[in-house]
This record gives sequence, structure tokens and C-alpha cells, in this order.
Amino acid sequence: MERKFERNDFGKRLKSMLKVDFRRMFTMPLLYIVVGVCLVIPILILVMTTMMDGTVSVNPQTGVETVIEGFDNVWQTIGSVSGAAMSMDLTGMCNINMLYFFIAVLVGLFVAEDFRSGYSKNLFTVRAKKTDYVISKTLVGFVGGALMLLAFFIGAMLGGAIAGVSFELGEVGVAQIAACMLSKLCLVAVFVPIYLAVSVAAKQKAWLSIVGSLCVGMLLFTMIPMLTPLDSGIMNVVLCLAGGAMFSVGLGAVSDLILRKTSLV
Amino acid sequence: MNAIEIRNLSKNFGEKQAVNGLNMTVPMGAIYGFIGENGSGKSTTEKMICGLIHPSGGQIKLFGKDHTDADVRAKVGVLIETPGCFQNYSVWNNLMLQAANLSIQNAETEVRKVLKTVRMEGAASNKYKNCSLGMKQRIGIAMALLGDPTLLVLDEPINGLDADGMRIMREVLVDITKNYGCTVVVSSHILGELEKIATHYGIIRGGRMIKEMTAEELETSCRTYVALQTRDMSRTKALLACKYSRVEEDESGYIRVYDAESPEGIVTYLYENGILVSEIKTAKIGLEEYYIDLMKEKEGR
Repeated sequence: MERKFERNDFGKRLKSMLKVDFRRMFTMPLLYIVVGVCLVIPILILVMTTMMDGTVSVNPQTGVETVIEGFDNVWQTIGSVSGAAMSMDLTGMCNINMLYFFIAVLVGLFVAEDFRSGYSKNLFTVRAKKTDYVISKTLVGFVGGALMLLAFFIGAMLGGAIAGVSFELGEVGVAQIAACMLSKLCLVAVFVPIYLAVSVAAKQKAWLSIVGSLCVGMLLFTMIPMLTPLDSGIMNVVLCLAGGAMFSVGLGAVSDLILRKTSLV
Repeated sequence: MNAIEIRNLSKNFGEKQAVNGLNMTVPMGAIYGFIGENGSGKSTTEKMICGLIHPSGGQIKLFGKDHTDADVRAKVGVLIETPGCFQNYSVWNNLMLQAANLSIQNAETEVRKVLKTVRMEGAASNKYKNCSLGMKQRIGIAMALLGDPTLLVLDEPINGLDADGMRIMREVLVDITKNYGCTVVVSSHILGELEKIATHYGIIRGGRMIKEMTAEELETSCRTYVALQTRDMSRTKALLACKYSRVEEDESGYIRVYDAESPEGIVTYLYENGILVSEIKTAKIGLEEYYIDLMKEKEGR
């Protein structure tokens, strides 16, 4: 007697996986913590640089005086225009690109929890194909990153209002700000597959996945100013979009291969 | 058609060969007791059946199809070592999540049904981390039962449970085979419990299947012995050892004679040697003793 099995097509499998992953992400306190951090960071940057504006720092060895300049425009925090403060290392590092590190934490802990809790056993027993898992996790990371980006944008507006930094568009156009945000969003699609590949290789070792992701992320992080020039334009968006698509497909295939070839428990 | 057919399965972890040319046949609808000592390759085999680790060689067929077939695997329920649940989720939410994972249409009804099957209706709102070990194992079985599986793979579901927990688990397992009609592969060290539910057995040693049999075959293979007590146990044992080839003293203080033709013969023999038997009975060895005997035989003892 032959047993008949219901056909599970790719669409059905992906839909159920997405349902599970999004339900999990939105019930995870971690998501709200990292989104909250992304909201607070630009507020702190704007308020603190305003407080430091005009402060003179003297190098005790050389006697060279440096005047610390604060942001003079809200849009500098999201990197859509260059300004005096953008050349400062500290503020340069604390700008919008910080969110790529928080995405590493989100993706790393999210994947590690699947393996640490043993949920991966239930998951991969009934899911012989791993593609839906990889696509679903990539989309979840992307949406998480998009939320962080949005929080950063709102934080920059709030910080600007609190610190009294100018909202004047000046030489910046709305299109430039939109292009900058879109570029950053497309860059999320570059970073998430990298973090996912590291995380599925690290499995339940959350520390390894985060450290690995941050190391790889740090390498790319130094390249971000080159990838997303501060004078944001449509070409930049196109390049980031192409990069995002390439990384998602290429590294998605790598993650799929890792899951297929390695032990899942 | 068999539910599971494994041929020449092997798995190496570096130098160590965990499973070595294993053959296994599980008929449809069976409760298959998978027995073996620690490190014999039971869990590794079960993980390979579920696709959680990849075989180094050999073939696994589930319901006549390769075990990597997505449609077949969607109908496998698993409880390996610990249940795969999120600590901070409630029992209900953990089950609902698995129901979503399996695209179950009437998820709430299904979750209620499996909770009832594992006698956990009253604990649905409990946080998973606050549940006892016995409850957690039953939640694991409930997770495995979602989606109406055709094959259940349970690794040591009774380990660590108290007597009551074992009784409930046994009832649950019997209910599952009655009401769900699925094939169950269950591994356990607690052979006394396994003996009460299994219809088929597979005994594994050093990564190889050394014996497969049905419960009926086990029944006929299990030898009868005579157990007795006298006032002078040491002399009795020495006397019996002169006549019978296998005489042992068990934990409950009885001398067991395995190859006696009849209890009457023993009583007469001892009486002729001046020993009065105070208690005598005949019994059959159980699965546990059968297993121990088999292991001794394989070790050449």
C-alpha cells in the first residue's frame, strides 16, 4: 500500500516560514531594544555635539588647538550632506551606519535562538529544503533593519528639534535625503545575508555569530563611505540595490549550502 | 511498504564511527523500541532519519521515498533529547508557532487536541520554562504530534521522569498509536517501560543493528527460569551449580536456575541433598534481561 503525501510547494512553505519568523521577531524584546537604541543614538549625537560646539581642545604635547564643531544641520546625521562635523572620527563613526552593527546583533541572536532552544530540530525535521528558511530570515533581517533605519530617521528629527539644530534643507534637496535613506536601506540587503551566513555557520553560538558578523561588518563598514558617497544620488541607490541583490542571492546560496551540508543539531 | 527502511547506514565524526553499516526496518503502524547502550548510535541514527545530520553513507527510505523528500519529511514529528521550545513563550504560544510552521489550518483546534492527548489542557498558559521535566517531555510530544504526523521519532522520552510521569507517558504513547495511527520509533534505556508498549524491537551495538524482532518473537525468545529460596542459600547455589550450567543469584535474593527441566526436579534434587526449599516459582526473563544476555553474548562472556 502506497502512502500519499500532500504536496508542499515552495510558496506554501515560504509563507508559513515567514509567518513564524515575523511572529517571533515582533514578540522579541530584542527588536524593540535595538530599534530604541537606533532612535536614541541620533538624539544623543545631536544634543551632545551641540553642547560641544566651539569647545577648544589643546593637545598637551604639541600645543595644537582644535575647535570642535557640532552638526549645523540635522541631515548631516543621516549622511546626506557633508559638513565640518562629518570629518570628525567620533561623529563619523556614530552616524547612521551604526545601525548595521545592531542588525548583526538582531540577526545573530535570532538565528542562534533557533538552534539554542532546539527549535531547529522541529523546524528542519519538517523542512527538508532550507531555501525558505534562508529567504525568510533574510527578509526578517531586512525588515528589522528597515525599522531601525526609520527609528534613526525619526531620532534625527527629534534630536534636531531638541538640540535646536537647523532643519533648513540648504544645499540638500528632499530627493537627496530620500536617495540617502534608500541607499542605506539597500545596504541592509548587503549586510543581512553576510550576517545570516555567519550565523548559520555559528549555529547556537550567539557570541561567535555576533563577533564574526561584526568583524566582517567592520571591514565593510570602513568601505561604506566609498559605497555611499555623502552626496547621495540616484546612481548610489542603483549601486546599493544591485549590491543588495547580488549579496542576497549569492550569500543566500552560501547559507543554504551551509545548512544542507552541516549538522543541524 | 515499510515506514522506515535503512540500508548500510554509516556516520563518521572525524575518526569516530558512530554508525557502522546499520540496517533497520520499521513496519508501518509499529511502535519500534530502539534499544542500545550509551554511545551505541541510537540518537545519531534518529537524527539522520530526521535529516538533522547527514549520513556518511548508506540509504534511508521513509515510506518508500528518500528521507530528504520534502513532502514526506513534512509529516515527521520529532522529540530528540529535549523539546524544541522557546523558554519565554507559553506552552500555547510554542505550539501555535509550530502549528504556523506546519501551515495548519485550524491551528487552535489542533493545538487543543494535542494538548488533550498529552494530558496538558490545564497548563496551556504556563510559561515553558516554568514547566516540570515530565511536562516538558509531554509538550515535546505535543509539538511532534501537530500536523498529524505519519512517523514519530522520540529519543528517550521517559528518561528522568518519576513513576507517575512514566505512567502518563506510557498512556500517551499508547493513545497516540491508537488515535493517530502513526508509526513510532522510541528509544529508551528504561526497558521495562518500553516492553509494555513496543510492538517491534531493534537492538543496536557499536553502531550496528545486532537484532531486530517483533514483540511476539521476543516473547518466545525469552527463556523461562526457576527462582527459589532456601535457608542455606550459599550451599544451595553451590549444589545447583554442580548440576545446572547457569545458576545466578538476583537482587531480590532468589537463586535463578535457567536450564532446569522442571521445578519439581530441583526440589527433589535439593531434598536428596538435605535442603528444604522455602519458596519456588517459575518466571520468564523480560526485555531487560534478554538485552543484558544478548550484550554478554556479543561480548563473548
